[in-house]
Amino acid sequence: MQWELQVFALLGIVFLLIFRYTPLLGIVIAFKDYSINAGFSTIFTSEWNNFAHFKEFFSYYLFPQIVRNTLALSVLKLIFTFPAPILLAILFSEMRCVPFRRIAQTISYLPNFISWILVYTIANAFLNVDKGLLQEIMMKLGLISSPIPFMTSPDLFVGSAVFWAVWKNTGWWAIIFMAAISGIDQGLYESAEMDGAGRLARIWHITLPGIKPAIAMVLILSIGGLLGGSMGGSNFDQSWIFGNRINNSASEIIQTYAFRMGLANGRFAFATAVDLVQSCISVTLILVSNFLVKKGTGEGLF
Amino acid sequence: MAGGKITTGGGLSSNTKSKGFDIFVWVILILVVFVTAYPFYYVLVASFSNGYDFMRGGVYFWPRVFTLENYESLLSQPIWLNALKISFIRTVLGTICTVFLTSIVSYALSREGLIFGRAYRFLTVFAMYVSGGIIPFYILLRYLKIINTIWVYVLPTMLDLFFVIVGISFFKSIPVSLIESAHLDGAMEITVFFKIVLPVSVPFVATLTLFSAVNQWNSWLDSTYYVSSESLRTLAYRMISEINSSLGANPSGAALGEVRTASTVMTTQATAMIVSMLPIMCVYPFLQKYFVQGMMLGAVKE
Repeated sequence: MQWELQVFALLGIVFLLIFRYTPLLGIVIAFKDYSINAGFSTIFTSEWNNFAHFKEFFSYYLFPQIVRNTLALSVLKLIFTFPAPILLAILFSEMRCVPFRRIAQTISYLPNFISWILVYTIANAFLNVDKGLLQEIMMKLGLISSPIPFMTSPDLFVGSAVFWAVWKNTGWWAIIFMAAISGIDQGLYESAEMDGAGRLARIWHITLPGIKPAIAMVLILSIGGLLGGSMGGSNFDQSWIFGNRINNSASEIIQTYAFRMGLANGRFAFATAVDLVQSCISVTLILVSNFLVKKGTGEGLF
Repeated sequence: MAGGKITTGGGLSSNTKSKGFDIFVWVILILVVFVTAYPFYYVLVASFSNGYDFMRGGVYFWPRVFTLENYESLLSQPIWLNALKISFIRTVLGTICTVFLTSIVSYALSREGLIFGRAYRFLTVFAMYVSGGIIPFYILLRYLKIINTIWVYVLPTMLDLFFVIVGISFFKSIPVSLIESAHLDGAMEITVFFKIVLPVSVPFVATLTLFSAVNQWNSWLDSTYYVSSESLRTLAYRMISEINSSLGANPSGAALGEVRTASTVMTTQATAMIVSMLPIMCVYPFLQKYFVQGMMLGAVKE
């Protein structure tokens, strides 16, 4: 009956209005002198401040570094976390021993289900300068003479962030590509084999073209969510959890800076402005990537 | 000799090539499995090892000094027990609420006859692409006065937008005749939903349940920053503070780029990690077939 369906639907709409659309109104404080202790209505009544928060952020001496860190982390994570699941899916599909493949797949999804905090705990157990397992083994083998500060060196931050992003998410995203591969007509492989095509040739000429739509779709989504971290998992979580005072010059990204300013320092209006800068860059990236992918493959999000 | 090789070529060499490729696939996949699974296993070994002995190094595959002390000491601390309890409560409560609201809203939105259905669906999809950012969201939570209550864990995530979209397409695939025949018998919409629609939607509900449970269980930001009462802290928060306390144990050392740890910190962290992972590990093998299906459901729709 209509009224019942309306009730169900409106439960959702009310939720959206409160938790999704109201915060959009809150963005106005980025342009105002607002203090959180002054009550709800001051969001709208406080004075416009002529972009003072934006001017402050843009002229902050670490602004170029923060933007550079954001882009470096995002782009490098995309470059590595995007092809990795495609390669893994192809390897799975080429594995002829089905029981082993099943086990390998089951294990490969596992890291996706643990939080970045647990990934950090694992990283710490292996890479900690004090007693990390990998440090210990490398020392024993004589590969290094003193431990490498993986967890604290600014120079190694992005590299290790990318590694853990690949470690955590590759198996999970391979699911999509596995499904795409299993949708390819087996007859194509058989006739290619009769024509004398080797395994690599079959991968190149049949598998890859066969999963092209899936690749395009995932690429659009990843570039759209680039600054957030998309396929590589949350950039914020990684930077916040793996970041510390020592590697801060590499791990501070726009989002962690906004969060620090807002929740830790209580500068909510300024933090909103910082966050808004990131959103603007994101929207631009989505539009540009959609345009490029549409040109390249004929498929787009909109 | 060279000539012989060429003449026997064809089948044989492509056969050896194929063998070589098989070996390549085996080696890479075994490596992938090892790199993925061993860290978990190593942490498990650490959790059953005596802390002081473990710190001497050289423990790789089996605890040298086996002990249950780590678990006994962790589970005898009220602070950890309470965190465990809160994590369970938020996961159960949060999952029930999310599964209920998300599935009933997407069911309503999937029905053809829903008045304003297009507008509702637009509001839902649009909300996926815009966000006020973390600061306005936090301010909203403050004004709603759910900061520092258990509801801050439950309410904000009750409607999973991604799964609303997945659910709409899933419920659309249910034959309308099934729903209509129930209506002819005079059943209420809510009865139809629970008695007829949900039982045929097991893959959707199972996937949604798994994802919201994992999200709830792993969530750390809300427990760290939206709550200040110690009695509401979750397991994820305790993990973070455990890690931070080991990092902050020696600030002067940290400033030199060296993060020092007390001798039993590693095994304590490992134990906490295994406890944090256990619930996920228990349900994971059983739900695997559903989440793979569910992921595809979403992928196809996008």
